[in-house]
Amino acid sequence: MSGRTLRALAPLVAVAVALVVPLVVSDRFLLKVFTFCGVNALVVVGLALLFGYAGQISLGNAAFVGLGAYTSAFCTVELGWPWLLGFAAAGAVAALGGLALAIPSLRLKGHYLAMATLGFGLLMSLAFLEAEPITGGVDGFTGIPFPSIGPVEFRSASSLYWLVWGCVGVAVLVAHNITSLRPGRAMRALHGSELGAQACGVDIVGVKVRTFVVSALMAGLAGALYAGVVGFISPSLFTLTASVTFIAMTIVGGTSSLAGPIVAAVALTLVQYVDALIPGLPRETAQTIQSYQEDIYGIAIVLIVIFAPRGLAGLWKRRNARNEAS
Amino acid sequence: MTLLQVRNVTRRFGGLTAVEDVSFDVFEGTIKALIGPNGAGKSTLFNALTGFDRPDEGSVLFEGEELVGRRPRDTVRAGVARTFQNTQLFEEMTAGENVMVGSQARQRRGFTIAMLRLPSAIAEDRDAREEASRLLRLIGIEEWVDVPAADLPAGIRRLVEIARALATRPRLLLLDEPAAGLNATETRELVQTLFRVRDSGITVGIVEHDMGLVMEVSDEIVVLDRGAKIAEGPPRMIQKDPAVIAAYLGGEVDDDV
Repeated sequence: MSGRTLRALAPLVAVAVALVVPLVVSDRFLLKVFTFCGVNALVVVGLALLFGYAGQISLGNAAFVGLGAYTSAFCTVELGWPWLLGFAAAGAVAALGGLALAIPSLRLKGHYLAMATLGFGLLMSLAFLEAEPITGGVDGFTGIPFPSIGPVEFRSASSLYWLVWGCVGVAVLVAHNITSLRPGRAMRALHGSELGAQACGVDIVGVKVRTFVVSALMAGLAGALYAGVVGFISPSLFTLTASVTFIAMTIVGGTSSLAGPIVAAVALTLVQYVDALIPGLPRETAQTIQSYQEDIYGIAIVLIVIFAPRGLAGLWKRRNARNEAS
Repeated sequence: MTLLQVRNVTRRFGGLTAVEDVSFDVFEGTIKALIGPNGAGKSTLFNALTGFDRPDEGSVLFEGEELVGRRPRDTVRAGVARTFQNTQLFEEMTAGENVMVGSQARQRRGFTIAMLRLPSAIAEDRDAREEASRLLRLIGIEEWVDVPAADLPAGIRRLVEIARALATRPRLLLLDEPAAGLNATETRELVQTLFRVRDSGITVGIVEHDMGLVMEVSDEIVVLDRGAKIAEGPPRMIQKDPAVIAAYLGGEVDDDV
């Protein structure tokens, strides 16, 4: 098969695989693991836009996931809103948070931006812990209802899987539209040279703010989905570690790509659940792998940065280019 | 007709006056060069004209509109495009994509329209693509369209940056040392490009060190020395100007010390 057909078929194959998973996977826990993969993929699609395309780092995106999760939990449990409304509110609150974080990003670059977003993330995880009347403090939020749209409730493992990956699908479509048209070129231009982008009339303030907001929105929606899938959230989920994990997935996935980061998000999420993935795996081995999880992420980043600075997506493009040349 | 009026522009950095009370006009359809020894204030003046820097005093009128205080994006939208001494290409994007970004100066479809992939966003995309290939053809570098900027030779990089600036559809194109780092053949091609750009109705302003090129292409020259204008006129006059000769010889003596 030539590189060109392979590349054209790849998205179709990916969609087919995603569709088939709930039909072949009967284990409910495993299906839930694949659902978590989707939640993380949704966060990472947003980060791919922000970091992979526009070159703006955020070490605080777990805070947006948390904002979304708590907003949806609060709206459905405390206010008794329908799930869909809480879901929309989660997106809106996270997007507002993104707007707030975009403001320092306008003046900061590189390491300074990393520090500012990291600070934002730390501040928010403290807020989740301290704002007890809203968030339930350290004990978290329990009894969050399953997602539902009108009379349709997403209760079964497979329906939750469809819901989450359906959202990922929509997000990918939206992100693809952004990246393949004018805003995507503006984002990559910003990444390449801010001076050059300004000289082309690119509204760099507008592009940065919008990209931050879109990435926060996707993270917030992912948080709301997570809350609905699990039914329980606590501050320990939305910490710096989670933010770093998301950025790790994005870096391993590669720049200027959506597919790469999604593949990386799925692969690195599965590392956390090797025991579910490989049934015969001895308990001790699984525990060892899990306890080295962060080291595995770290090593993955180091290897990628040294051997494939443009990530998995870069490797894939290089392979295609070689096939076409030969 | 006067396209650009620079009036009494002064720019200070701390105790240093980089540009001091400089005034000149640029006439439509001409090529005007800005020359001077190193540190004469040429690039500072360039930045002041394009919104990348704000002069402390003075005014820059483009078609009668004040440019001082505008952001780079508004300046380019008003019709003044520029290139950089160190080319500012988007390295991971192809030559064609680089030029397409230039079209953004005159496009207005936003994020939402693109998100929904509305027909107007697609049309705009096609328009930018066609404009990019037209400009690359005009400059004679269409065979590089799909090559990432990072892999382009120095001469082609300069020309791609010019094509990108032209994609903004400027009335005035300002080039900051376009011949720097070019070999003789590449410089010849650049000269041809400059004439082609001027003949297409675009006024050109150029900061350049290559005196041969400056004398060949410019209709008029402004000479700066230590921030101040010391001469202005057609090339033949400038070559004989005692103040200019002194400034350049003085500059060279300084370099040798």
